[in-house]
Parts: sequence; C-alpha cells; structure tokens
Amino acid sequence: MNLLFFCISRLLQLVPVLLGITIVAFLLLRVMPGDPATLMLGSRGTPEDIAALTSQLGLDRPLWQQYLSFLGDIARGSFGRSIAYKAEIGPLLIARLWPTLALVGLSTVIAVLMTIPLAMYTAVRRNGAVDHAVKFFFVTAMAMPPFWLGVLLVLPLAIAVPIFPVSGYGQDWLDKLHHLALPAFIIALGTAALTIRSLRSSIIAVLGADYVDTARAKGLPERSVLRRHVFRNSLTSTISVLAVHTSWVIGGTVVIETVFGIPGLGSLLVASISARDYPMVQGLTVTFAVLVVVINLLADIAYSIVDPRVSLS
Amino acid sequence: MSTIFAPASFLKSAIAATLLSSTAILATAHAADFRLGVRADALTIDPIASSDNSSIWLELQVYDQLVRPSKDGSKLEPAIAESWTISPDGKEFTFKLRPEAKFSDGQPVTAADVAFSLQRAAGEKSEWARFFKPITSYQVVDDHTIVMKLDKPFTPILNNLALFSASILPAKLVQQQGDKFFEHPIGSGPFVLKSWTRGQGEELTKNPNYWEKNKPSIDAVSIEVVPEDNSRVLKLKAGELDAITDVPYNQAANLKTDADIDVHAAPVFRVDLVQLNTTKKPFDNESVRQALNYALDKEAIVKGILRGNAKPTTSSIPVMAYHNEKLKPYPVDLAKAKELLAKGGVPDGFKTSMLVAAGDVTARQVASAIQASLRKVGVEVALQTIEDSSQFSTTKSGNYEMSLSYATSDTIDPDQLVGFTAVNPERANAFHTQWKSDRVNQLYADERQTPDGPERAKQFQEIEAVVHEQAPFIFLYTPNSAYANRKNVSGFEVVPTANYVLKDVVVK
Repeated sequence: MNLLFFCISRLLQLVPVLLGITIVAFLLLRVMPGDPATLMLGSRGTPEDIAALTSQLGLDRPLWQQYLSFLGDIARGSFGRSIAYKAEIGPLLIARLWPTLALVGLSTVIAVLMTIPLAMYTAVRRNGAVDHAVKFFFVTAMAMPPFWLGVLLVLPLAIAVPIFPVSGYGQDWLDKLHHLALPAFIIALGTAALTIRSLRSSIIAVLGADYVDTARAKGLPERSVLRRHVFRNSLTSTISVLAVHTSWVIGGTVVIETVFGIPGLGSLLVASISARDYPMVQGLTVTFAVLVVVINLLADIAYSIVDPRVSLS
Repeated sequence: MSTIFAPASFLKSAIAATLLSSTAILATAHAADFRLGVRADALTIDPIASSDNSSIWLELQVYDQLVRPSKDGSKLEPAIAESWTISPDGKEFTFKLRPEAKFSDGQPVTAADVAFSLQRAAGEKSEWARFFKPITSYQVVDDHTIVMKLDKPFTPILNNLALFSASILPAKLVQQQGDKFFEHPIGSGPFVLKSWTRGQGEELTKNPNYWEKNKPSIDAVSIEVVPEDNSRVLKLKAGELDAITDVPYNQAANLKTDADIDVHAAPVFRVDLVQLNTTKKPFDNESVRQALNYALDKEAIVKGILRGNAKPTTSSIPVMAYHNEKLKPYPVDLAKAKELLAKGGVPDGFKTSMLVAAGDVTARQVASAIQASLRKVGVEVALQTIEDSSQFSTTKSGNYEMSLSYATSDTIDPDQLVGFTAVNPERANAFHTQWKSDRVNQLYADERQTPDGPERAKQFQEIEAVVHEQAPFIFLYTPNSAYANRKNVSGFEVVPTANYVLKDVVVK
C-alpha cells in the first residue's frame, strides 16, 4: 500500500516536469533553421507547394495553438501523426521502445553481473595485481569511443570467428538475445567501469566500520561478514550511480544502435530531428523523460529494499 | 583489415566446430533468396507522399508505372503501357495498356486504375501534384486504352509518368480502404510487400502475376536496414547479406580484394557543386566566378578523396540525355584565375566562407581540398560546418557566400535539374544562387513545349553552355554510387536514377 501510494505520488510529480520539458522541446525545435515542408519537397517544391504543405501540416498556425493541440493530443493518449512517416506516432514509438529497453536492460544486467564479483574481489585484495588489471581494463574500455569498440569486437567475434552476428535485431527472443549480446556488452563495459569503482570504494569504506570489526570479533566467518554486513551496506551509493548512468544510457544508445543496426529510440530521435519531424521529436522527448523518472523510481524502491531505514514517503 | 585477422583463420575452424551446435540453434533460418543491406529504412509506401530515397526505391519494387526508364537511363521504355502515341500538336497522349498486366491479387490493371492513380497524384494530398497537373483530362476509351489531354504542350510529362509517384494503384481497393490500403499495399510491380518491421527492413515475395515473362528470377527478398557503413560492409563479408548499397569509397578498394565479392560503381544523375551567392560581392562578378572554377583542381579531389569514383563536370547538369559534348570541364589554370580575379576587381583575392554539411565526411574532406586550392590564388575560405538539414534552408534564405552541396535528378530528362539549378525565378532561383539569365529562362520555357528530338537537344545544350560560361557555381564532379554483391549473385544493379533493380537478380 505504502509502495503503491509512493509510486502514484511520484508519477504525479512528473506532470509539471513533463510540462516544462514539452515547452523546451517544442520551442527548441522551432528555433532550429529548416522546416519539414522545405525538407520534404527539397528541389521539387515551388514556394507555393511549400506553403501548401506547411498549411496542410498545420504548421502555419500560431505557436501557442500548435502547442495546445500537442497537449490536447497527449490528453487523448496520442502523440498525433508523424510528419515523416505519415502515420500515428504511438505504434511507431512503441515498436522502437522494446529494442531500446531490451538493450538497456540487458546491458544493466551484464554490468551488475560484472560489478559485484569484481568490486568485492578488488576491494578485499586492494592494490593487488587483479585490482590494477581491472582498473586498467575498464578505464581503457571507458576511454574508447563505443563505435570504435564495436568495430573492434565485431572483427574478431563476428567476422574471424562468427560467434555473434555483425548487426541487426533478430527474429524471436532467443535470436534477439544473440543479436543484442555484443552491443549490450559494450554498453555494460562503460557502466561497469563506473559502478565497479563506486562499489569498490564503498566496500573499502565499510570494511573500516566498527560493526565490521564487531562482526569479525564475534567469530563470524569472513565470507558471511562480507556478504551480510559489508556488501549490503555498501550498495546504496552504487545504486544511485547505476540509476544516473542508466538514465543517461537510455538517451545515449544512439551510437551503438547505429553501429549494430538496432531499431531503437535513439536512432529514431536522430532521424526525426534531421527530418524536422516535430510531433515525433516531441513524443520521443516525453517518452525519454518518463523513462528517466521510472528508472529513478526503481532506484528509490531498490534503496528501501537494501536499507530498511530508508522509507518510501 | 582482413589481413590483421588472417592468422586467426586457423582458429576459425576449430572454434567454429565447437560452437557449431549453439550457432545452429541461434541462427534462424532465412527464407529469403536474396538479402540486401541498405542504409536507411523507407518511411512510407504511399507513392504520392514520398520524398526520401528509401521509400521511393521500395515503391519501385512493389508498383509499376505506365513507362519506365531504360536501365542505362537514356530513354523511356514500355512498362504497363505496351505502346503510346503523341498527337502532332503534343497535346494528346494515347496509351495502350498490356492486356496481361495484373495486380498481385490477380485483378487486371485497367485504364480506370490509371486515371484514378494519376488524378490522385495530381490531387491535393500529393506532394508531387505539380508534375501531373499539366494533364487536364483523362478519357477511358476501353479497359486497355486511355487518352490524356493537355491544354498546352508539355514535353517533360512523359518522363513524369515514369516517376514512382505515377505508380498505378488498384482504384477500387484504395477507394474502399483509404490510408489503410498502404498497410497491405497491392501493386503490379515485380514484388509484393509481405512484411515490414519499421526500422529493421522488409520481406518481399515474388509477384506471381508480374507481366514481364520469367521475372523476377528469385522468389523472395529481404531488405535489411544497416545504417552504419562499416557494419554493412562487414555483414556482406561475413555472408550475412548478399548485396549492399552505398559502399563508402574508402572501403571499396579494400572490398575488391575479397575473392567472394564483386564491387561496382554506377554513374548516377547527381552533380556536386559549390553554390555561389551572386547577390554578394565579389560573386556578383562573372570573372570572379570563372576564376574560382579555374583555380580548383577537380582531378586531384576525384583521385585523392573519391578514389577515382567520380568525373569532373562541365555545368550543373550531369551527363544525361541531351548532354552538350562540346563543353570541357574548367582546367586548372592559376595564371588565368589570377588574371580573371584582377579583371573582377579583386587582384589580391578576398576572404569568404563556405557552408559544409557536418554529417557528411566526404563533403568535409572535399571542402578542405577546395580551401587549399583557392588559397593558391589568394582566396581565403573559412569553412562553416552546418547541420545537414539546415543547409538547404540557410542557402534558401540567402544567408551565405559559398555552399558545398549537390543536386540529383528523379527523372532521366534534364528538365528537372535545369529548372532547379539554372532558372530564376523558379522553384529554387537557380539553386539559391539568385543568378539569372533571361536567355536560359527563355530556353527553359521553349524546351518544355518542344517535342523530343534534335531541336530540344539544341535548347538544352545551349542552356548548359550558358551555365558553364557564366558559372553561378564552382562545378565539381558527378560521383558514382558504389555497391557490392557476393560473387554468387548476378543481375543486381544500381541504375542512373540511383535506385536498385531486383527483378533481374539471380542467385546461384
């Protein structure tokens, strides 16, 4: 009950944030030079053709009217029609949403799976060979641009030894998992580089705490000291790092989507901005904002599970 | 790149053997006979609402038109119409439809379908209405004969009827279903759109009712969207695709060394040029504009940056029908360039700026080469990168001095590019240069009313000569479109209008 109330109140707080975001997105697009009618007609359009198309698209109305009709569309549960695709935005957007969610979700899982053992080990064996190797490897991986890393991994893993497909999104879910593995791993490297460092330093801090000494003094085996007392208490800061980074990844997958030909939201956003597909960009902006809020909501819920002192109110 | 990983090939078989079981499960069966990798996905399959190449090229697989360009782009040939006649005054066109032409659902293509489709293309919702409005009446004589009348002669109309926007649709179904028709479109082209996953690609199957005998040779095609140039090349190398379009020039040479792959370069109707804003000093002066053309080493750009995949041009019209063979590209002549600059009142050169599309790597390299060339005659060009979609609007507003750009033709008739790049006032005021020649305007008006033949050729050739002489642009080159296929594929072709042809593809 408490949880449900918390979720609803957080989602309600979203409304003014979204309003602000829609206004900024709406105005920014209009400030940019280039308009959809001119871009669509290009070399073929006479000034009359362009004016006719502009009015057909409803773009000759005053800005406040266009903005209100956009809000009206949202109120009716629709983002209106795309200028470039000439179709309802909702279904187009949802079709692109799943690949992005799958990619981000899978990369987060991989990142977490890499983070926990590596952070624990390097914290306990601080300054050992493994610690230095892990630090070196992840800093290098983070410093490499993802498109370069993508090509670098595709050459040995998809061409020389064809374990993974070069690019694409696949048909059924198993095939999709196969297609997403490599790109998700590349994103996960960037995430893990941050979370390993964050979790490692929290663990080191917690290892010096009095209650850890107490736990050891009362004769608990080191293994359960680490698991029960150290690990759980070091998680909170890493959860926020993960949440912030994942929110960033959602909007930042466009490069990986392009390299691996995954039909996700990022590439749709870039294409829609290029085409000045105003309604589509507005719809995407709102979607991204909602996703970021949802991720932060999930992070808050995760806090309360990890640390019972944190209450959801 | 392949050489770096060559030593790994001995590992390949060993590891592949151990992985065989897993990959066999993971790789889903591809039913398609032919898998094509393209850069971008189509946006729509409604022929009157398309302006992007990907949509246009897909539509050409699914729909058919009355006439179509020959594969070399030199003339029109019969398609749905098996023959046509033009009245001596050029105002009446009579088309005879093929009795064997059928839509993919088995219904015959009738004169009523033609009238409906073309009226739709000239209608309010069409982005291409201007191309068909000259036809003022349609008369359905019988199921296979249609007469179109014009108020005054308009020679480009026949070429316009070969455009994708003049695709013939089944009248009844479109009227019944409205926009829903395009969710499961039916055409009389060589293929049927079986499924379309937005952003990912399309599955096409052979149209069993296609009028051309024994075509297409393949039963199914899958078109896969692979936006990244390197990925497309890698997928072709890995055998995940059978053919790809838009091969980057720097990869083409490398790809040629692959024994399993054929690389081709297709000349397309496109000209790359530098627009000069003739309302600004010193570009208002003809001598200065000519000087810039003499100063630029086009051959060096073609060799160095485009790796030979282009030909220097003489004007803003590429080599196509009615081309003026007598013209030669401006040669590099720095002495002459300096002399002309002096004549134009800027003997020591001048400072200026040039817009370059930010997202186009080749354009950025070419821009740097132009900068270096012009510096030799004292012209200092500051490069100004601009977001690709803003470039056209910026030059249109007149807020520029020089702009590196290009123009393409949808038809095989030079009328479209002449209207766009040389006529003022017209839809683009000589491609935003604001250059104006009354003689060109007159020739353009005449050409549109002159029947195809030697007289029309003379008009076009004179237009080209005037544009070449007065140089509202720095003329650069016309580039090839590079594409590649695996060796077991034959008949895959990119034609001069830049679209690909799938109906003749054979996979061995």
